[in-house]
Amino acid sequence: MDTKFKINDEIIVDSRSSSGHCRTPAYIRGKKGVIERICGRYPNPEEIALCKKDPKIVTLYRCRFKQMDVWDNYSGKASDTIELEIYEHWLNDA
Amino acid sequence: MDKNNLKMGPHDVGGEESLPIDTTDNDMTHWEKYANALRIVVSSKRIITLDELRYHTEALGAKYFEIGYFERNCLSLHNICIQKGIYDKELFQKIKSRKVSEFDVPIIDLPDVASINHIHDGKPHSHNVSDFQEDESGDGPPDYYFDTLAIAQIFIDQGLITNDDINLKIEQFDNVFPNRGKAVVAKAWYNNLFKEALIKDAKKAISDIGIELETFADIICMPQTDTVHHIVVCTLCSCYPRTLLGMPPSWYKSRSYRSRVVHEPREVLAEFGTIVPENKEIKVHDSNADMRYLILPPRPSNTEGLSEVELSKLVARDYLVGVRLPN
Repeated sequence: MDTKFKINDEIIVDSRSSSGHCRTPAYIRGKKGVIERICGRYPNPEEIALCKKDPKIVTLYRCRFKQMDVWDNYSGKASDTIELEIYEHWLNDA
Repeated sequence: MDKNNLKMGPHDVGGEESLPIDTTDNDMTHWEKYANALRIVVSSKRIITLDELRYHTEALGAKYFEIGYFERNCLSLHNICIQKGIYDKELFQKIKSRKVSEFDVPIIDLPDVASINHIHDGKPHSHNVSDFQEDESGDGPPDYYFDTLAIAQIFIDQGLITNDDINLKIEQFDNVFPNRGKAVVAKAWYNNLFKEALIKDAKKAISDIGIELETFADIICMPQTDTVHHIVVCTLCSCYPRTLLGMPPSWYKSRSYRSRVVHEPREVLAEFGTIVPENKEIKVHDSNADMRYLILPPRPSNTEGLSEVELSKLVARDYLVGVRLPN
């Protein structure tokens, strides 16, 4: 599968705002992480929610973030991580 | 950047400060099971998609946290049907009124206990008032149950679904789905080759032992290890591998759990009685899109020689979400 990002690539989640249905939580926007795995290609949920015919098929990635990079005052250990699934159109090169 | 500007709506709770978690799992009432089954039937038949339902649930605004989880689902389903012209308000009210009237159960005159004196085993015998009370709760169904019944009836009348579809789904959620995850984990404890296959490609490994999960989503299996503790949440709604584990527990759907796990996992785990050592990494999985997660707990100690069936009785649902560990 030809994808824009490869495993271990560094990425930054786009920090734009959104309207309508979207699967990119606010807390992860603008955060830097790495590609953990490529999940496959899925219809864009932002379009399915609006009943669009033939929604665009987009690549979904699992991204890993250091908790210290996500929360300003993270009280846990430096090694703690969080992983989320982010669609390609929400990812930028780091 | 101010995060509040990016917040998509009331549902986008990851990172919020919130209250302690009520870690008890309250059993579902019949109307909750019915509402859940209807939603699953409607979305699995692609009459209305899950993302449409989510979109309309999120659009409820302030009402989102004022009403309960299943009432939210019911209201968003209704709003979509009106918007799409599947039915109009007039038809809905007509069917709903019928459902309400069908439910009116006449009040039964309870017997006068003082007048009952009969013989049991040759001895005179009397009764207390409590012997004749009808049920233990006394609470009738909430109004949204009749909404749900009316929506289902309209779908049935239009030939889109059947009563059997709903009943089958209720039965599967009660008796089939919750046992699948337990069987899978017991097999992984019992058989190392299966465990490896499960970690490599969970959906395929589960399908290879004859369990069809009837879901588009992929399953990712994460094994708990001596160095990493895994825990799962869905901060945006309540994504959960339902056809593998059954319904998510009530705390999984709660605002507190969804808000807090992502930014204070150690504190949340401690509320479940799980103390994670300082030197262990905690990895939180926000199940926010198309993947679903199964956490594989370590096999409990002193279980050598147990059969797969015996092992499956030691598997608790909470292990499979990562909030608790076996001994």
